[in-house]
Amino acid sequence: MKTKTILMATTIAAIGGTAFAEDYVIGVMSAQSGYLAPYDGPAYAGFKFCIDEMNAAGGLNGTTPVKLIVKDTRSDIALGVQVVQEMLDDGAQFIVSSADADPTIAAAQITAADMIPTMTFAGTAPVLTQVGPHVFGSYPADNQQATVLAGYARDQGFERVWLVKSPDSAYTLGGPEYFGEAFSALGGTVVGESNFSLNQPDFSAIVTTIQNADPAPDVIVTWAWEPDFPAFIRALRGAGLDTQVMGGDALDTPTVRGLGDVVAGVAHSSGGFPDEGSAYADFVDRFTAATGTAPDNNYYVNGCDIAHMIEQAVAAAGTTDPAAVSEAMAGIENGQGIMSNFTFAETDRMPLRDVVVVTITADGQKRFAKRETADPAILPQP
Amino acid sequence: MDVLLQQLINALSLGGIYAMLALGLAIVFSIVRLINFAHGEIMTFGGYGIFLSMAFGLPPLAALTVGIGAALVMALSMERVAFRAMRGADVVSLLITSFAVSEILKVLFQNGISARPVPISFPSSWSGAYQIGGMTIGVAPTVSILVTLISLATLTLVLRRTATGMAMRAAAEDFEMLRMLGVKADRVVAVSFAISGLLAGVAAVIWTAQRGSVDPLMGFFPVLKAFIATVLGGLGSLGGAVQGGFVVGALEVLTQAFLPDSLAPYRDAIVLSAVIAVLLVRPDGLSPTKTGARS
Amino acid sequence: METALDIKALEVRYGPVRAVRGIDLGVSKAGITALLGANGAGKTSTVMAVAGVVPPLSGTVSIFGQDMTGAAPDAIVRAGVAISPEGRRIFASLTVEENLILAGSATGSIETATERRAALMERFPILGERRRQLAGLLSGGEQQMLAVARALMNEPRLLLMDEPSLGLAPQMVDTIFGILEELKSEGISILLVEQNAALALEVSDHAVVLANGAVAASGHPSDLAGDDVLKSAYLAA
Repeated sequence: MKTKTILMATTIAAIGGTAFAEDYVIGVMSAQSGYLAPYDGPAYAGFKFCIDEMNAAGGLNGTTPVKLIVKDTRSDIALGVQVVQEMLDDGAQFIVSSADADPTIAAAQITAADMIPTMTFAGTAPVLTQVGPHVFGSYPADNQQATVLAGYARDQGFERVWLVKSPDSAYTLGGPEYFGEAFSALGGTVVGESNFSLNQPDFSAIVTTIQNADPAPDVIVTWAWEPDFPAFIRALRGAGLDTQVMGGDALDTPTVRGLGDVVAGVAHSSGGFPDEGSAYADFVDRFTAATGTAPDNNYYVNGCDIAHMIEQAVAAAGTTDPAAVSEAMAGIENGQGIMSNFTFAETDRMPLRDVVVVTITADGQKRFAKRETADPAILPQP
Repeated sequence: MDVLLQQLINALSLGGIYAMLALGLAIVFSIVRLINFAHGEIMTFGGYGIFLSMAFGLPPLAALTVGIGAALVMALSMERVAFRAMRGADVVSLLITSFAVSEILKVLFQNGISARPVPISFPSSWSGAYQIGGMTIGVAPTVSILVTLISLATLTLVLRRTATGMAMRAAAEDFEMLRMLGVKADRVVAVSFAISGLLAGVAAVIWTAQRGSVDPLMGFFPVLKAFIATVLGGLGSLGGAVQGGFVVGALEVLTQAFLPDSLAPYRDAIVLSAVIAVLLVRPDGLSPTKTGARS
Repeated sequence: METALDIKALEVRYGPVRAVRGIDLGVSKAGITALLGANGAGKTSTVMAVAGVVPPLSGTVSIFGQDMTGAAPDAIVRAGVAISPEGRRIFASLTVEENLILAGSATGSIETATERRAALMERFPILGERRRQLAGLLSGGEQQMLAVARALMNEPRLLLMDEPSLGLAPQMVDTIFGILEELKSEGISILLVEQNAALALEVSDHAVVLANGAVAASGHPSDLAGDDVLKSAYLAA
């Protein structure tokens, strides 16, 4: 094993020329196209930005330079599994996986053998960490988001929710279900639900069903993403329904905010908000100055926070040994992040973090509505 | 009762889009024996035409016109660049060529525009609703149905009443014979692609107006359904393609609306099983092509 | 003598199959050449190569002295050639009238086409009666007349007739052959492919017998009638 590692390190040094034995090699799955691209793209940009900053200062904790291996998965799970294997063969000691539960679970099954710590860019379905003790979430999990969002909905006086979910992914199925649980626990009622398929051509049938529901819901909750959410909201508003719509963090994209009038007033949960003077606002300024692109959603800063999580785990472990890093990561309590602080200790490795609720304005901006950490008493369990 | 009526309107609206796409596929297939897998990209290109012209500040109606024009241009260039050289090749070679065209275009869209969906924001007045006898009906599905019916009626009129239409119908029946009468092949083929492009453009307009975003895969999924519709209707049969489109759209909406939630994941399977069941009874589709005995 | 059609060393292949293997063939002006032979002898392939829908592998096809080898079908039509193909191939889903209009649309103006259509309906009264019917609903003989009328819409100088009598009742066969002789007397040159050899030899002034894609015999019809080559050419298939 030891010989193999040394041999591999020398091989990399010989071939790559830039890698040294003491480099910490992080493999990154990043979908450049397909349904994950809107999330993987920004997350990777933020991650790379902060890794570059750290490398400029000597590496993780100023001592351990990071070498990134990045591979495109085209949002294809089978290809994802293949690139993870390739990255492990190339010596990756940490894997950052795509921004959804399903590719992360697939990747984690490959990394399980050597207990290589594996962290998803923004997968939020809490089931994803059940693969093993080496798998980590980074973004506030769906059950945390749903709990805070349900609290917000109840604060606003909503009583009857209609859930629109898709069994095609853990995210689209779980989010609305957690919301339903938390909403009921807070005294609301689930009056109905509809199922859709990912990339469903047409949502008019669902909209008509909702339109004719008795009792009529006063809030509709879906964890649908692009292009399903735009299609759904257009069909809904097109049918003359102005019921409040709420959703998960996948709505935090410029595409959704660019839809115009139909999304005005839509509320969604997310992981942070760049309040003036905050570390997050500072990150936005630095990132914009360095890259010329303004980070217009939370996946950028969350990507950066992944770099901080890795740095703090390596510091706590005092070594880059994969199993030790995993163990140290799982023990982090109130770690310093830019989007928000994070606690892995006493969770099932989905970090407990602040959840922010925002609403979308008619001119396509985000308006801050609420910041809260999910109340463990009503947090639905996966 | 109201619910059923409203769902029927939804079914008509979706079925109409499938019908236009299926008709576009059928017209080209009937003449050049090409199952054009890149038809979806014609539609997607139309969507990007709308997006780009709105990004450059064109008013929505003008943008929609540009979208239809873009689809038309794409269809014609596809024929000129990719398929003319393959004229007369067997069905499989043509199919593979169209796969290649489809993949190339998807990659171009991803790299040239965006892998992510781009938003299209239409005026809010376009997403209103009105009441008829206590029933709320959306403006968008209504307009969609009207536009579909007008397009199909116009096309029928062109096919029935004009010399070009006559040539198209004859070409669908026996293209070689038509050529032996001295009618130029290039022109008839170009017209068939133009018609299929126009139909895809109109479909793109309705589709983007209803969905609010365009992504590189936008045309892929509806065209997949349109393929099923053309097979259901009888490959190469124009009337059959339209029928098939409406049937597939209706099945899709009605299964969504009235199947219990526990069966929801099997929806596509149920729709496809229904199609297979029809094909078992009528192997040549709902209205098979009338081809004379050919030696 | 200028010929209407002059084929030299024509070779046609479908993939590996050599359907026509270097044949020579001519149709004189205002003459009828009968092209005879068994099924698969290469008759229809020859006709299709002349019509421009099957590209010849080698050899030349001259039409009224002009080299038209490998020309597109529309160019060949404009050179004065029309075809009444094997199996008639009328457009079944179009009306009788539409079949004729379509045929006239390639050459000439609408006015001349309308005139010709009227004249043809006079010549073939049954087509005039059924002008609004779908062509697919006509009887076999009526369809054959439509196929001939359609070919005449472009006022051809050379007519390619492939199996005009196939599957027709004897009375209808007589009518069709009567029309052929009329056309000849009007100065139209005809290449006649016919399985009914006796009938073909009767109306033609030159005959060519094909066997396995090659010329087995050619000459004056009276010389070929009863010839052994002719019989064996048919038996060869």
